Amino acid sequence: MSTRRAAGLWAWLDERVGHRRALADLRAARMPGGASMMYVFGWALTFLLGVQMVTGILLALTYSPSVSAAWASVAYLEDQTTWGHLVRGLHHHGASAVVITTGLHLAQTAIYGAYKRPREINWLLGVVLLLFILGFALTGYLLPWDATGYAATQIATGIAGSTPIVGDGLRQGLQGGNELGNLTLTRFFGLHVLILPALTVTVAVLHIRLYRRHGPTPRWGRPPAELARTSQPAWPHQRVRDLGAMALALALVIIAHVTFGGAPLEEPADPSAEFDARPAWYFRPLFQALKYVDGAAETVVAIGGPALVIGYLLLLPWLDRKAERAPRQRLAALGLLAIIGVAGAGLLARSYVDDAADPGLAARQQASAERAAHARSLARRFGVPAAGGPSVFQSVPYYAARKVWVARCASCHEGDERKAPVVGPGYAGRAWIRGFLVAPAADAYFGRTKLAGEAGMPAVEQTGADLDALVELIYAQTGATDADAALVARGQELFSDEEVACTDCHSIARDVAGDSGPGLHGWGSRRYLESLLDDAGAPRHYGPHSGMARFDDLAPSVAREVADYLVWLRTATEAELAALEPVR
Amino acid sequence: MTRDAGSPETDAPADEPAAPGGDPASTTAPDRRRFLELAAGGLGCGLVAAIAVPAARHLVSPVGRRTVVRASAPIDVGSLEQLAIGAPPVRVPVVAPIVRDAWASSRDVPLGAAWLQRVRADSVVALSSVCPHLGCAIGWDTPRERFVCPCHDSSFTPAGARIHGPSPRDMDALPITVDKGRLRLTWQQFRQGVPGREVL
Repeated sequence: MSTRRAAGLWAWLDERVGHRRALADLRAARMPGGASMMYVFGWALTFLLGVQMVTGILLALTYSPSVSAAWASVAYLEDQTTWGHLVRGLHHHGASAVVITTGLHLAQTAIYGAYKRPREINWLLGVVLLLFILGFALTGYLLPWDATGYAATQIATGIAGSTPIVGDGLRQGLQGGNELGNLTLTRFFGLHVLILPALTVTVAVLHIRLYRRHGPTPRWGRPPAELARTSQPAWPHQRVRDLGAMALALALVIIAHVTFGGAPLEEPADPSAEFDARPAWYFRPLFQALKYVDGAAETVVAIGGPALVIGYLLLLPWLDRKAERAPRQRLAALGLLAIIGVAGAGLLARSYVDDAADPGLAARQQASAERAAHARSLARRFGVPAAGGPSVFQSVPYYAARKVWVARCASCHEGDERKAPVVGPGYAGRAWIRGFLVAPAADAYFGRTKLAGEAGMPAVEQTGADLDALVELIYAQTGATDADAALVARGQELFSDEEVACTDCHSIARDVAGDSGPGLHGWGSRRYLESLLDDAGAPRHYGPHSGMARFDDLAPSVAREVADYLVWLRTATEAELAALEPVR
Repeated sequence: MTRDAGSPETDAPADEPAAPGGDPASTTAPDRRRFLELAAGGLGCGLVAAIAVPAARHLVSPVGRRTVVRASAPIDVGSLEQLAIGAPPVRVPVVAPIVRDAWASSRDVPLGAAWLQRVRADSVVALSSVCPHLGCAIGWDTPRERFVCPCHDSSFTPAGARIHGPSPRDMDALPITVDKGRLRLTWQQFRQGVPGREVL
């Protein structure tokens, strides 16, 4: 396209859009008294809110607001999507940056006296925006439905519920009914992604338009003539500072993301679990203040404290009405703000000091972090069952079988009160078989059963390579794929050897009982174990020597799962078994 | 847009307008101004890129990824005994023991249905109940002894061959084997509305 045609198109568009005038206005904007880093907070905040919007939209494309799916979808986003971890980390730490920048913006505006005539309404809009930002923080905290968000929301809705007169209605309205549940999530989600953004954008647009109407408030004590003489065009002098501040803010958010390893995701919310609830750091002052009061005073502090602070901010333009803007002339108005700030910072610091001094807390938080890591690892490997949340702990294979085992079998086969052979990790492995063959009456084997004495099996006398061969023969029965064929063949010879005398009692042929001992075909395999569960006193197994109850009441599918669990034990480690335990 | 002051971002008196394009009240040299303009432009582009690149990367991450996964192993659809040689087709649900859908793992998820017929003592034919036309569930018309799609009236012989109607091809056969008296079916889905059989 030629330059002339491009210019023609530009003019055609301008006639319809009017962008030339708008751009010229932007270029003509001037900063009285010159550009300053003191003016960057508003635009830095706008930028950070833009980052929250982009990352928030991305999160909403994966997040699922229901009790059964919320935690699972966040865990999926964190651990199984490309750069989802970064997106959520930016959103989480970006929220902190928004709160900090809002505080700086408010402090700068207050110190410069920028709330004074004719800017009172814009100050009010700013305070309203502050409330919206805290609303975002409060509603967003719940959405992952992890232990932290759940506990913090219990507290927040509890505080709302303690409001005089309207409290109960307010609490039920917030949480969508009588308890925290699906409706709480959908309502908080709706507030967080629809209502608050719409309100915030609307008020922020008004806030910026009023700012442009009145212009920046220069530093106090400079006469108008000097301000005019030292004025600079906003572009590029102020804009480069604004952009520098935005870049710094983003850099700090990224540094926080890297330093803290992204956004936390605790274990799934479990109402039955104990958890040390801690709010987001910017709500810690209130959290700490509530430790010092109880009863009716608690309501006064929880509701009255924030209400007083907000009330003071809203009234400030009318409490400090003189035209004078020099801070020295406004010590009362600013002093009260400073006291609020210092008190907040003091309570914030005290809260962390208290936590650091509590050794039990660190241990409990460590245990919780391990459960969270375990839950996320299970979610990544096996997915989260439809029940969602804490049911992720049941997604690990053999969990159901282990539960049956703990209820029905463990009292005899595990622990000190045991009445039967130890059945744990390594069961029916080579070491277990070898231990049994050389000492069948040992405590870990038949020592506590009817087979401990005369009726039981005598120890195998073979040693060395012969013992290895017998071990391998039995080991091969389990269906293990790593049995050594040559050793098994040698074991078979020994087994049939009358000198060795195995066959005096046992048989190793399919479905054949021994003369006085169990048939060993397929010993330790799933089918064998299913049959043993059904009736250990069957002639093929221990006959009258069995001391084990029948488990023929188990559904075939359950019996099969338990048998599978026993087969799995052969190669399982203590740590893998521990990972099956119901976490609590 | 109307404003009471001459320029939007100043409360300087209106009788002191800035000279257009110039910079009369500051000592800024043109070189410095140019540098600041470039710096501001560079920072702006950098900030947009710093957000847009990760955002775009994350946004397209599901493309080409299998987010809904089920085991490809054959599924047990009952025993051979339930089928008699030469009897009308029997409809069996095909239920996957486990399906991973993004974060969720569900047990016993229905995938669809198949029509089974025992053609010989040890041989079974399975036809997908999904119509090759637009995917409606094909039913068995007992009086007329043929398969009929309830949506657009495609009809098929008991062997699945197209008789008439809009279906572009015969019914889709599914791989099925008999293992120790149990029927083991491999569930497949096919592209709809095309004459050729194409597994999805």
